[in-house]
Amino acid sequence: MNPMDRSPPSSPPTQPAHSSHSVVLQVLLSLGVLGVAALLAYGATQIPSEAGYAGIGPNFLPWVVAAALLVCGGLLLHQALTGGFQDLDEASGAPRADWHAWAWVSAGVLANASLIEHIGFVLSCALCFTLAVRGLRIAEGKPGGGWMGLLRDAAIGLLLAAPVYWLFAQLLAVNLPSLTATGWI
Amino acid sequence: MEIFEQLMGGFATAATPINLMWAFLGTALGTAIGVLPGLGPAVTVAMLLPITAQVEPTASLIFFVGIYLGAMYGGSTTSILLNTPGETGTMVTALEGFKMAKSGRAGAALATSAIGSFVAGSIAIVLLTLFAPAVADWAVQLGPPEYFALMLLAFVTVSTVLGKSALRGLTALFLGLALGLVGMDQITGQVRYTGGVLEFMDGIEVVLVAVGLFAVAEAIYNAMYEGRTVSTMNRLTRVRMNRSEWKRSWPAWLRGAGMGFPFGTIPAGGTEIPTFLSYATERKLVAPQHRAEFGSTGAIEGVAGPEAANNAAATGTLVPLLALGIPTSVTTAVLLTALQNYGLNPGPQLFQTSEALVWALIASLYIGNVMLLLLNLPLIRLWVKLLLVPKPMLYAGIMVFATVGVYGMRQSAFDLFLMFAVGMLGVLMRRFDFPIAPVIVGLILGPLAEAQLRNALSIGEGNWSVFIERPLSLGLLLIVLLVLITPRLLAWRRRA
Repeated sequence: MNPMDRSPPSSPPTQPAHSSHSVVLQVLLSLGVLGVAALLAYGATQIPSEAGYAGIGPNFLPWVVAAALLVCGGLLLHQALTGGFQDLDEASGAPRADWHAWAWVSAGVLANASLIEHIGFVLSCALCFTLAVRGLRIAEGKPGGGWMGLLRDAAIGLLLAAPVYWLFAQLLAVNLPSLTATGWI
Repeated sequence: MEIFEQLMGGFATAATPINLMWAFLGTALGTAIGVLPGLGPAVTVAMLLPITAQVEPTASLIFFVGIYLGAMYGGSTTSILLNTPGETGTMVTALEGFKMAKSGRAGAALATSAIGSFVAGSIAIVLLTLFAPAVADWAVQLGPPEYFALMLLAFVTVSTVLGKSALRGLTALFLGLALGLVGMDQITGQVRYTGGVLEFMDGIEVVLVAVGLFAVAEAIYNAMYEGRTVSTMNRLTRVRMNRSEWKRSWPAWLRGAGMGFPFGTIPAGGTEIPTFLSYATERKLVAPQHRAEFGSTGAIEGVAGPEAANNAAATGTLVPLLALGIPTSVTTAVLLTALQNYGLNPGPQLFQTSEALVWALIASLYIGNVMLLLLNLPLIRLWVKLLLVPKPMLYAGIMVFATVGVYGMRQSAFDLFLMFAVGMLGVLMRRFDFPIAPVIVGLILGPLAEAQLRNALSIGEGNWSVFIERPLSLGLLLIVLLVLITPRLLAWRRRA
């Protein structure tokens, strides 16, 4: 038999590892907690400690929380570096994130936040709906529709945002921004 | 008896057409929310908090509590038909209920769930009627040291009793406390952690954090990770039980109610423990001929008991909220915020200063419970149709409501940006198995606990021994220590 015919035994295709088990991410997360603790500690130094009768001032709890987060962050870092977070229940869903879908949904939310005070609730939320729906559909693998699909989503977004606006702004007197002064859009 | 008269007075208020309408709206909306994945009663109430600016307190509280109860009923429907965990309280229902549905008995599971919830809810409401005023009367002797110790107990139990990792739970709690520190200190007026940003002067809005961590995080998490997750729905059969199923169900209902209510009233962190306890009990007590059904075709006791326990516990959580002002779950924490929006402080004073409101609320619990039974049994097919809404539409629609809730509170676009950031934090927490409830409880209860701590020390003139000198606060602090140490001790002994 020709030795060249012998191929190495093929290993079964491996699933990408669940991202929550990634040591790098866990370490980053723990460092994040330590970072928050450091920020809290820095902020606490700026708070005066006038104690009055109580014996503790407005800076007491900030210091306690900063210290507690320091301890927690340190323990989390220790766990991350010695075998990963303990008793980790694997979160549901895919092992890796779909960043394309995330981008669309985030664009929707952020566009809404930027525009709501300029073009009013109805139009801004309709836009948010359209972008978010597209992102969620991309996540399912069926973006579909092209321009007609986008228009249809925008129409549904308007059909949702307008009655919601009328219900809350007109009936329940919640203060929501509008494009015109009529109070209906 | 005085209680009876007060309750009748409550019914007079709760049964007015306007309040009946609010009760109906609340229970219907709550059921829809419970059926649909992605939203829970807590975040729904949070999103609707802006209405407290206009709607009067009795009506809006009847509405919110209706949502809370309705979501319990609706959540069971999804657990049985779709096996989605949804509410933690209905996780256990998903165990046997889903099995029953798979073997073609979804209708019986739904029936025992709805009727059992009604029975247990009724029992729990009666117990609430009897106990809440008594607890409020007794609670007058509680002073700041005892309140601080109680809140400490609530903190510790919500962080360490749920979930697998106490460390991650406590980290979440301290994050919540940190968020609660932003803004003006209540006692000295000292501004903390605003970083010069004007929008932080009033603190971080609770609605923002709740909506961000639950609704927005859910939508973003779905987009990132759950795109390919397929949920298959079981066929819905006739919603009724035969004679044997009734016979097996009603003892389980009573046992479940008996277990659920006490756990709801103590700060034991929610409805998980009583439902699992009920499941284990039913498993042990089931008649031998039905034992094999557990885990295979689905035993009806395994649905009846936990569902009753869940509902009784949820009603039970209203006791510490109304009588002591201590929320023991995320939903009651949000309800506390609703009460605060009206300038009402729950606690023993509430029963004296706003007697009419409290009794109207309790009376509307009875009304809501009946409404839910009437709504749920015949209308289940309608609710199930809701599940046909495609997920992308559902979650995108949730974003619109989230905007109403967050913007409606403070009219600030900055809050919407912050909501997004909090949403990303929520995704991170979900991915790495950090519980979210402690953040909310820490955020809401933190400032209150700080105030109690400083008041307590004022009473003790700066001496920390004030906590140990008073027997009740000493006892509570010992319980806190026990809750912290016991699991670690048991695990250490097991390993040794």
